[in-house]
Amino acid sequence: MIEINRITKTFPGKTAVKDLSLTIPDGKIFGFLGPNGAGKSTTIKMMTGILPIDEGSITMNGKDISKEVLAAKQMIGYVPDRSDIFLRLKGIEYLNFIADVYDVPQEVRETKISELTKQFGIYEALDDHIQTYSHGMKQKIVVSGVLLHDPDIWILDEPLTGLDPKSSYMLKEMMRDHAAKGKIVFFSTHVLEVVEQLCDEVAIINQGHVQFQGNMKEMKQQFQEDQNLEQLFLELTQNG
Amino acid sequence: MAKTWLLIKTMVKMQLSTAGKSDLEKAGYGCLVLFAIPLGLLLLSILNSMIDTLYTSLAPTGNENVILGLLFVMMTFIFLFVSLSTVLSSFYFAEDVESFIPLPFQPYQIVMGKAAVPFLSLYGVNTLVLLPSLIIYGIHSASGPVYYIFSLVLWLVAPVVPFVLTAATIMFIMRFANIAKNKDRTKIIMGSLGFAFAIGVNILFRLDSGGTGGGMSEMVLEQNALLGLVTKFFPTAYFSSIALTSPTSIIGSLNFLAMIALSFAGILLFMTIGQQWYFKGVLGLSGGTRSTFKENDLKRRTEKRQVLWSLLLKEWKTIVRTPTFFTQILIQSLFFPVFILILLLLQSSGSLSTMASRINGWDDSTSLLVLFAFTIIGLGVNPASFSSISREGKSWFNNLYLPIPAPLIVTSKLLVSFFLNVLSLLIISIAILFLFEVSLSVWFIWFLASIVASWITSIIGFLLDFHQPKLNWTDEREVFKGRMIGFFALAAEALVFGLLLILLWAVPLFQSLTFASVFMVVYLTICVLLGQWYVGKVTKEKFSTIH
Ligand SMILES: Nc1ncnc2c1ncn2[C@@H]1O[C@H](COP(=O)(O)OP(=O)(O)O)[C@@H](O)[C@H]1O
Ligand SMILES: [Mg+2]
Repeated sequence: MIEINRITKTFPGKTAVKDLSLTIPDGKIFGFLGPNGAGKSTTIKMMTGILPIDEGSITMNGKDISKEVLAAKQMIGYVPDRSDIFLRLKGIEYLNFIADVYDVPQEVRETKISELTKQFGIYEALDDHIQTYSHGMKQKIVVSGVLLHDPDIWILDEPLTGLDPKSSYMLKEMMRDHAAKGKIVFFSTHVLEVVEQLCDEVAIINQGHVQFQGNMKEMKQQFQEDQNLEQLFLELTQNG
Repeated sequence: MAKTWLLIKTMVKMQLSTAGKSDLEKAGYGCLVLFAIPLGLLLLSILNSMIDTLYTSLAPTGNENVILGLLFVMMTFIFLFVSLSTVLSSFYFAEDVESFIPLPFQPYQIVMGKAAVPFLSLYGVNTLVLLPSLIIYGIHSASGPVYYIFSLVLWLVAPVVPFVLTAATIMFIMRFANIAKNKDRTKIIMGSLGFAFAIGVNILFRLDSGGTGGGMSEMVLEQNALLGLVTKFFPTAYFSSIALTSPTSIIGSLNFLAMIALSFAGILLFMTIGQQWYFKGVLGLSGGTRSTFKENDLKRRTEKRQVLWSLLLKEWKTIVRTPTFFTQILIQSLFFPVFILILLLLQSSGSLSTMASRINGWDDSTSLLVLFAFTIIGLGVNPASFSSISREGKSWFNNLYLPIPAPLIVTSKLLVSFFLNVLSLLIISIAILFLFEVSLSVWFIWFLASIVASWITSIIGFLLDFHQPKLNWTDEREVFKGRMIGFFALAAEALVFGLLLILLWAVPLFQSLTFASVFMVVYLTICVLLGQWYVGKVTKEKFSTIH
């Protein structure tokens, strides 16, 4: 379970996330929905330890991300929104680096790397520098890295952007499998449709505030009743 | 023409803008200017005394214009050397090339725009050396106003032909040679070329100066023969020198006109070549390599390693595989030791070996002091250390979410820059052991002290970069260019090691080798401990806040 407790993040001259609380239960795919600039990435960066939290706290399965830093990070698999990973490494070197960092056993590496990268169609490119990869390929190598160490909590920032339909389908299947095993999948998106297809539960964020949290049925109801959400709904569907 | 002018203005503005520079850097530039004034005066007095000496010895035989010849030849070399790297980076490696290509400009217009900054930058050294030298010569030869008018014009056109030659050669290579297909490889080859050029010129001059002594006396008798020899391969230097030797005569004026014509021809040639070759060379440059992954490699390449070792490999690969880092860090730090070694090997009776024999006469503590000072200056600032954090650029955030302890990442960075220092140190140590013939105990103490000093240098550079890293770059050169950090590192090192050297020099007790070495050990140990403590402190406080 992830518990986000009243977190706030202020950048010079701008509050990106204000007094935000969320509880993400085990065994669910949790969608974090909001238009561009809503504060999704900022929240996720605080969850993964990239950004220091100004106020409030976040715990991952009971481990506080700003106190028991390494223990919390060890449980997280993070797919960033930007693919600025170590560009000068080759695909295979990146994966092995990740395996070293997360202490993945030798036997597991070999089978998993070849299995995963073959599935994503990047096996042939493993000996190339990541610099030469397309955006989608970079995304795939990062996702492979996450799957390689198989953490309890997946945190994915707009993971489907830039993936081709086949890989997108595969990733969605993998997310469903992971949640079915009782683990956590938390991902952000600005596309309502994706949430409808995939999520068990959703939180809608706008201008740093959570506007809604609940399951899919509740969300549809709210959209019809709530004036504010209706406007947001238009933004989210048009952006798609 | 209006379009070309517009392009030139835009590109100059873009490259010279001070936007995005911190106040600290601006203050650094201010400091630099303050430093430059006494240095400029020093340079002026050196030039003055050199020209004075040469003039008095050459004037009796009427060969004083050899000074002009030497001056112009030397300037040509400097122009060639300086423009080599600036042309390459501006023409081929700057990321903005791609944004100009789709715009409706002729290739020659773009190339003129791209040439502006590298060309203008030649005027820095041109103004610093050529202009005062010509004035000093004018005063010595009691020349009239025509001489000074000619001087001004020749000063103005002097960089043109060398610049065109470099640019044309580079455009030719990039157009026709196969290396142009791979941007990374080209960057490495071209980056190393500058250093090879410097070493090559040095060797040539040394070999050449040995042989020409004999015919000298005959040539002195014949007017302009000596000048002809000096400027043999440099028609522009010949024209310029003759023009200034007798500015009021017809011969002088003709040579002056020839020089002007040659420069104009140079500009036309540059535009023609640019129009023909520039786009063909710059398009299709791409980074990285491609190959197909081999099945049977998988086992070997998924070997389990310690995290620290994994991090070290990552750092090392980043340096070796990024052309800018390869030349700025690896080649740069190996350049000085290799250069020294070559000089020592080539020269058996020169100034360095005189120094060596003098060292043999010194007592042990003095040799230790001199060797250590020499090493500190030689190793200088280590670019690997002050680019520790900045090298990561936009990928830095990966260090924040991966479950790696921050001190481990810091250690890997310190170790890489330390390793590079040790590499240079090994080369220097060979030179010292075999060529200076110091006693083994001195050598050993020196070696130990230098190793520790390398670690201190790494810490200093690291701390400076950690304090204010430049992560938001789009081109790796920004990590080194326009940052005052190298200067600050030098200042910090001067402080730390200067104090040690002064104490060793001034305190009478340290005349004894034992006391000197004990003091060195204590001083350096304290420095390392302090540095290590401070690194630990800032890592804990600041590591996760760097963005
Ligand atoms: N490093 C930063 N400095 C200043 N403002 C930032 C920074 N990062 C994000 N912001 C601002 O915070 C807000 C939320 O951004 P972000 O979390 O990236 O939105 P998104 O929901 O699209 O991921 C935006 O208005 C953005 O401009
Ligand atoms: Mg985002």
